[in-house]
Amino acid sequence: MNVQEYISSGIVESCVLGLASADEQLEFERMCATSPEVNAAREAFELSLEKQAKEQAIAPPAILKNKIFNEIGIADTDGKKTAPVSTVIKAPVVKMGWLRYVAAAAILLLMGSTALNLYFYKQYQKYSSQYDALVASQTQMAYDNKALQTKLQGYESAMGHIKDPGMAVIKMPAVAKSPDPASMATVYWDTKSKDVYLMVNNLPQPVSDKQYQLWAIVDGKPVDAGVLDMQEGMTFAKMKNIPKAQAFAITLEKHGGSDIPTMSAMYVLGKV
Amino acid sequence: MASEVTYNEQELVYLLKERNNQAFSYLYDNYSGALYTIILQIVKESELANDVLQEVFVNIWRKIESYDASKGRLFTWMLNIARNASIDTIRSKSFQNAQKNQELADNVNTSMVNQVTQLNVDNIGLKKVLLKLKPEIRSLVELAYFKGYTHEEIAQIEGIPVGTVKTRIRSGLLQLREYLK
Repeated sequence: MNVQEYISSGIVESCVLGLASADEQLEFERMCATSPEVNAAREAFELSLEKQAKEQAIAPPAILKNKIFNEIGIADTDGKKTAPVSTVIKAPVVKMGWLRYVAAAAILLLMGSTALNLYFYKQYQKYSSQYDALVASQTQMAYDNKALQTKLQGYESAMGHIKDPGMAVIKMPAVAKSPDPASMATVYWDTKSKDVYLMVNNLPQPVSDKQYQLWAIVDGKPVDAGVLDMQEGMTFAKMKNIPKAQAFAITLEKHGGSDIPTMSAMYVLGKV
Repeated sequence: MASEVTYNEQELVYLLKERNNQAFSYLYDNYSGALYTIILQIVKESELANDVLQEVFVNIWRKIESYDASKGRLFTWMLNIARNASIDTIRSKSFQNAQKNQELADNVNTSMVNQVTQLNVDNIGLKKVLLKLKPEIRSLVELAYFKGYTHEEIAQIEGIPVGTVKTRIRSGLLQLREYLK
């Protein structure tokens, strides 16, 4: 059977309308794929069928559309409204060929823009982490600066006391049996307020559970004048107020100080 | 007023496969009438036709992925879905039982409304074109297309050889092609 005979056998219409057997349908699909004439005959019949069907159609009840859309689970949007999405897709495909180029250019621009976005995002990430590092070091510097300020204030106040003309200076050299013969400390004693300040000239760093304790010798008896905290590097510390004393001495005591000085651990002594 | 968007077939299929709601709405607005008509012509009851149309559009939405444009137009594909769903409906047991009851009822009290609707439906679309065919050919095409009978079944019903059924239907369809042009 040649192509013309095939077309005029009614098989085309039979297949389009779904009246052919499975074998006929398969052969028809093969013929459509290989013969442009069969394919054209099929399309012509399909088109005329569609045209006829659409020209004389009974509209279903209006409520049905909503029902169907609800079942599918999509909103019943009005298909007649201008849809930006569909016009964008539609235009290049159909009528205006030049829009293809516009679309191509738009896609290229979009790709370029995406690449730039990525690039700027990377840059942003880089600068963002650098900024974080700067903020951290800035915070550290401010903290260090504050610590220095505090230390400086301590020195300034110490200098103020030392310069005070009413300040008695009592040098305390190492005693004969001092554990460290090079020891030396100085007591600054405000003759008016009776406040006592201690400056360490040279004392060995005590082990962690020990502390130096200043004693005022009042009428031959030792009076606790406070413990010295050398861990913070304080070389000038305000001690307890001592209204009356004949001498000052420093012993190494247990942490927090003792009630009675350990005479064997006396480092320095100075008479007023 | 917004200008009416029209899609060519390619775009429409593309958008439907992308699950575009607007395209589906467009599809419904443009094809529901044609499909509803063919459904009505087969099931003959508007209540039932509503159910079938719903089933058909749900199936179109769900099965659009399987539509192959190289094998035919979108409308042809949908038309076959609609026809198959309609024929399945009239072949179902529940429908046939209902029909028997209806026949009884009709014998007692002939429904004018039903007759008017049926006249309407038979005078449009494919059925109207079929009216131009010779009655002995037309009845075979109608049995095949609107009742869904196989050539063998028709041969039994009409008491003629299968070969004759096939030849007559084919010639009827060829005439149909000319009338549709």
